[in-house]
Amino acid sequence: MDFLNKIPEMDRDALRELKKGIDLGFKDFSRAYGDAIESFFDPLLYFLIFLEKLLVTSPWPIVIGVFGLLAWIGSRSIKLVIGTMICFLVIGYFGMWKNCMATVAIISVSTLVCIVVGIPIGILMSKSNRAEKSILPILDMMQTIPSFVYLIPIIMLLGIGKVPGLLAVCIYALPPVVRLTNLGIREVDKEALEASEAFGATPMQKLKSVQIPLSLPTIFAGVNQTIMMALAMVVIASMIGVKGLGIPILQSISNQYLALGMMNGLAIVALAIIFDRVTQQYGQRIQKHRGQKK
Amino acid sequence: MKIKKILLSALVILGFTSFSGIANAACGKISIANMNWASANFMAEVDKVILEKGYGCEVELVPGATMPTFTSMQEKGEPDVAPEFWANAAIVELEKAVAEGKLHSINKAPITGLGEGWWVLPATLEKYPELTTADAILKRPDLFPHPEDPSKGGFHICPPGWNCELSNRNHFRAWEMESKGWKIVETGSAAGLDGSIAKAAERGENWFGYYWSPTALIGKYGMIAVDMGEYAGKDNWDNCLSKPEQECANPKKSSWVKSEVFTVATDNFKKSAGKDGMKYLKKRVYPGPVMNGMLVWMGENQAEGADAAVEFLKTQEDVWSKWVSGKAKKAIKASL
Repeated sequence: MDFLNKIPEMDRDALRELKKGIDLGFKDFSRAYGDAIESFFDPLLYFLIFLEKLLVTSPWPIVIGVFGLLAWIGSRSIKLVIGTMICFLVIGYFGMWKNCMATVAIISVSTLVCIVVGIPIGILMSKSNRAEKSILPILDMMQTIPSFVYLIPIIMLLGIGKVPGLLAVCIYALPPVVRLTNLGIREVDKEALEASEAFGATPMQKLKSVQIPLSLPTIFAGVNQTIMMALAMVVIASMIGVKGLGIPILQSISNQYLALGMMNGLAIVALAIIFDRVTQQYGQRIQKHRGQKK
Repeated sequence: MKIKKILLSALVILGFTSFSGIANAACGKISIANMNWASANFMAEVDKVILEKGYGCEVELVPGATMPTFTSMQEKGEPDVAPEFWANAAIVELEKAVAEGKLHSINKAPITGLGEGWWVLPATLEKYPELTTADAILKRPDLFPHPEDPSKGGFHICPPGWNCELSNRNHFRAWEMESKGWKIVETGSAAGLDGSIAKAAERGENWFGYYWSPTALIGKYGMIAVDMGEYAGKDNWDNCLSKPEQECANPKKSSWVKSEVFTVATDNFKKSAGKDGMKYLKKRVYPGPVMNGMLVWMGENQAEGADAAVEFLKTQEDVWSKWVSGKAKKAIKASL
């Protein structure tokens, strides 16, 4: 009866040894390969620092002008352009310019990394069912595992600062773009594919000129989600030393500074809305384009 | 509001505990505050074993945190003992209560070598033995490269929102660190700060920044406190260094304010535990390395304070046997 009442448990000492073994194994790994891995990410670090410096040191009217221009290119909506510029002006007026630029830099770079890494993985998944089956659980894990759990090994491996923060953001923000690329390509009209095959298209040609163009709106929805999730990670990234809007939020959490927390939180919301609307409008425009061609 | 709530719940718990059990004739019933950090937890457990086995007291551990426990001791006389009380938070009130005879700060230094300040790793000092003072370190930013800008020295400060974040930022200005080629490293959280130390220590890199003792990390890596020179006065500290940057126009460089850590007991403890109990608490001084060593042991074995107390009493007899009478020592040894 004892067996039924007490779940079989590993011996306490053995369990402790196991945990210690894992910890030590990881420490040895980080001692052996940490520097190499760190220097592997150096180009990314330099790019991030460069972008942040560029945003912070350039005269503010130019920066805001560029943001307005980007909003215009993306959305072709004058309302959105004006809204974007006002948002940045207000953020600057309330003294959050520097932090906001740091956040914009890390969000842009991590979105870029997610796209560069995520779209090829999505394509691979759409091509092979086996790849899809093996990658899906990894994506599930990336989205649900509490970020603090992977922050520990990341700090041991890369220290604190921008690159580990970027990695933490990417781990969380990568899955949507992978999932939706996979979905978009799988949902491409069979007839369109057959037609291209009839014209003797090679698989590469099929992918480049049929599947990706036709699935772009779905892929874009994935990119949009990735940006949103990256913004949601701003505060967590600040917990491992990434400068940006997350730092004042952490300060206000531990001191109950209501106004400071609110202002910086709302600045993140404003960034999110701008990014979201611009990318959504862009996605819709691609779709319109397709509608016309049909 | 929140403090009131905590206080109230603490009082309720105290209320329950103080009416249960019968007083022991030899010593009596005592409650000890079991604070919510590792070293205080360990000390409370050691006190419990020693007072119970050596002096025949009936000891109850009561969960606590610095301010709620202090307020409860002052107002209600419960719990009886706070083994590791960081008094900077309530020094005025404590002095008043001591003057009134309600409380006794029995032991003014229950742990030696404790405090806050700037630290470096021992490997750094092995290579550069001259770097024992803050002035010497600040001259060599090249040895402590900032992770994002290797041309500058990296100075690790407290996580955002902690009070020590303010004082470190002010220290940064007071020591003119920017013109000396230093840059602040944002650590983000306690985990970030700890992680940066652990990473540097494991990789043999140099590390310079703020930390405090007694902690497991100080013990684990044998970190060494940096000599920050003279303390530049209470006014400079209270009205400048510990304030937000805009309220501190002219910070003067200074060593860290001394952390006052006492063992505080109520009058009830004095009556029930008597001279012997008081004598024990007065003599009970943990050398810093011993305390840090126990914290490391706790971390490595993922042990509770109670396990650590047994381990300590078993292995460090030469430390604790000086605290107790010969009779008590025999009784404690027999009980292990």
